[in-house]
Amino acid sequence: MIDQTIKTICAEQWRYWLRTKVATTVLILGSVLTLAALVINTFHIEEAAHAREHLQGEAEQRFLSQPDKHPHRMVHYGHYVFRTPTPLSVIEPGVDTYTGNAIFLEGHRQNSAMFAQQRQSAGLTRFSSLTPSFLALVLAPLFIILIGYGSVSREREAGTLTLLLTQGASRWQLVLGKLVALMLASSIFLLPLLLACLYVAFSNESALVVTLFCLGYALYFLLWAVVVTACSTLFEKSSASFTVLIVIWMSACILLPRMGSSVATSVEPSIGKLEADFKVEEKLRSLGDGHDVNDPAFVKLKQDLLDKYNVDSVDDLPVNFRGIVAQYSEQRQAVVINEFAETRMQEELAQARIARQFGWLSPTVALRSFSTLLAGTSIETHHRFLREAEILRMQFVQGLNKVHVEKLDYKLDMNRNSSEEAAHKAVVEASNWAVLSEFSFEPEAPMARLSSAAMYCLQLLLWVGVAVLLLKLAVRRLNP
Amino acid sequence: MMRFNDIKREAGFVFAHRQFKLTLLVVFLLSTAALWSGHAEMQAQQATIERLLEKDTQEREAVLNHQSSYGMVAYYAFHLTYAPPSPLAFAVVGERDVFPWKHRVRMLALEGQIYESDTDNPELAFLGRFDFAFVVSVLLPLFIILLLYDLKAKEREARRFDLLNVTARNSHAVWTSRTLVTLVPLALVTLLPFVAFAIVNGASVSSILLACVIVLGTISVWSAIVLAIGAAQRFAKYSATHLASLMLGVWLITTVIVPVTGHTVINAAVETPEGGDIVLTQREAVNGAWDKPVEETWEKFIETHPQWADYTAYDPKRDGSFNWKWYFAFQQVGDESASELSNAYQQSTIRKNQLAGYVSLLSPSLLTQRLLSNTASTNVQSMIDYENKVRAFHASLREFYYQQLFAAPEFSKSSLKRLPQFTTTSQFTTPMNTQENTNEK
Repeated sequence: MIDQTIKTICAEQWRYWLRTKVATTVLILGSVLTLAALVINTFHIEEAAHAREHLQGEAEQRFLSQPDKHPHRMVHYGHYVFRTPTPLSVIEPGVDTYTGNAIFLEGHRQNSAMFAQQRQSAGLTRFSSLTPSFLALVLAPLFIILIGYGSVSREREAGTLTLLLTQGASRWQLVLGKLVALMLASSIFLLPLLLACLYVAFSNESALVVTLFCLGYALYFLLWAVVVTACSTLFEKSSASFTVLIVIWMSACILLPRMGSSVATSVEPSIGKLEADFKVEEKLRSLGDGHDVNDPAFVKLKQDLLDKYNVDSVDDLPVNFRGIVAQYSEQRQAVVINEFAETRMQEELAQARIARQFGWLSPTVALRSFSTLLAGTSIETHHRFLREAEILRMQFVQGLNKVHVEKLDYKLDMNRNSSEEAAHKAVVEASNWAVLSEFSFEPEAPMARLSSAAMYCLQLLLWVGVAVLLLKLAVRRLNP
Repeated sequence: MMRFNDIKREAGFVFAHRQFKLTLLVVFLLSTAALWSGHAEMQAQQATIERLLEKDTQEREAVLNHQSSYGMVAYYAFHLTYAPPSPLAFAVVGERDVFPWKHRVRMLALEGQIYESDTDNPELAFLGRFDFAFVVSVLLPLFIILLLYDLKAKEREARRFDLLNVTARNSHAVWTSRTLVTLVPLALVTLLPFVAFAIVNGASVSSILLACVIVLGTISVWSAIVLAIGAAQRFAKYSATHLASLMLGVWLITTVIVPVTGHTVINAAVETPEGGDIVLTQREAVNGAWDKPVEETWEKFIETHPQWADYTAYDPKRDGSFNWKWYFAFQQVGDESASELSNAYQQSTIRKNQLAGYVSLLSPSLLTQRLLSNTASTNVQSMIDYENKVRAFHASLREFYYQQLFAAPEFSKSSLKRLPQFTTTSQFTTPMNTQENTNEK
């Protein structure tokens, strides 16, 4: 049961908004923008998902349809993997356009993701982007402010506040009436978002994740409605309430997220991939070149193998020694490469976590972390993609090396450069390319995403708590 | 006419407001913080380049000492290329965080190497940069709105409005001088830290002046917008906060809606080849060459390099146990097979950037951002210029190694002293595909 007085005050406020041009313009502009963003982004993401799935299939097909070859040539031929967007990136695309979404996998090297879309935007989308999450996180609060900054202070300035309070409305009833009206107004921006979530829920996303995702945004909108109403109640003049709210919006929505990013860069500097590459190389040089069986680093490997099969020369081994060397050095190399890759990912994660600590200072940062983590468009999911790509890389490279060891004669192999004819003999059958397994990228399991997002949910709840306290204070100090 | 006394009186009024002094302090702190973080980042980039250069030389020396044929050297020796931050880059990070500014390349097909990117943490790039350009193009307009929207309303509320108009010699002059005493300190707190940092970073006087003019231009444009809305007859009945909402609407449309709409339209209008197709084409060509008769590669290679037509025969005695000449020839052919796509990709980036330039004429914020990044050479064009420099350097590497692989009588370490070195200033021989690019500039 909603209190009758609250209802009347709420209805009165709506009548006022519909009469004034500013409020109606903002309402219409906001909902049109949100809708447009949703439609465009949904098309864009669906298209990208389709294109990347297609490219993935094509890459697998090309690999499998390679003719008979030397297996090591397939190691260099390599393979591509593509990261398909997650269902919720329709609303929160997150880092997707900044990371690049294709990786070339080959032997001896770990490549980075290529073709980040952001490079093609010529700086147009550096501050703003037409994504539903940007609208909800940054613009919606501004709209809520523009509609609601004067809801209570206007009554005071017009002298109607005394009238309302003497006619029997309590201070809480008055403020709640205004708050409910503003919440209804802000739900006009929220509604398209919820509908989009419903659409996502019917695709393959966990219902729990989608529900919490929606709740996060709903809480955020509620938070702003409460803050705006509280400020409007606290300040004597509309102009003061307006100025203070705009300053709050500027710091929470625009300034602090970027401050977080800059602070993270300086507090936790990360060495780039190139620099890590040098360190990898330095370490690898001591491990030997896998292309060269005579490299001194492999002397022990050779001796062990000769002892094991009890023969005198590598020519007599039942396995291909070049293949063994390739397999062995790839494995050792991968250990070094991944040690550095892991360090780099940890550094990036540490940076991201520092930036997310700004969620204690700004609810916008809190919701951004919460929603990117739930949507699977945060740095964690990108790292997961990198790790899975690496697993696939090692799997097919070592698979091919195994073929090299077992199915290619050592003498034919050593002789391969002597003539074109000899090169044609040093091959294995194309059926061996089936060592490549299919790749389809999935974000972390729902529960894992939920648990990593829990902290940011806490930040958000804290902000709601602060806002409610502020409202309480405002009501206590409300004097006509 | 304005007189010094008028200005002094207005300054007294304006500075009496605590809110005004607070705003100035905040703008000063923001500007300084943004500059400091940009400065620290550029210092870090500079230090990275120095460390990389040292490692690069060491690593190459190690390869050169270890290898005993031109083919092996060309295969294993990497070369560092980089685009150092300009003296003003600390103020406008610009495109430096999405485009790569360092690459290591070797003699293999370039199309397989040049799209590798060693960019910063994507999550931080996504949250956005807090640099001086951002403060000026996005935040400063908001501060101008906050400072000027109730210029007259404040006096009306304080019941001084009529008094002011009557006591001043010229009622117009009051508001002009009041606007000036508001804006000049604002410009000063924004620009003074900038000038200080620019001098520390060794920026040229002309570039500092240019950047200052751009910032002053931004302040003037936004003040004009705010004052025009405030003075318009149509809105005469609006309250001060209603007027401010209108001003914010203008900010919203020009700063947010124009750019994102422009982006959507440009993306739909300019056809861009899939990046993945470039590398796929190149890879198919390079890997396919192993299975094709050697002559086929030579035929294509000679088309573009007729000077080596008589040197293609493989002589194991001279060339070693592996036919490196042929190997690098099909790397070249691989690049050529993808060059059309790769050119189209670069052209579309340039075209989009050009169109974005037109869009920015509708958005003062975007225009400021672009002009500042032009001044600091952190715009798209500079990043593309760097890419082309890498291409040109790679071409000069090829020229050097072809000379050795095809014509040198035997391997000699001393000839490697003539190995091309990447420098940021020198011009390399023109590669095939920079011709169109220079026309675009």
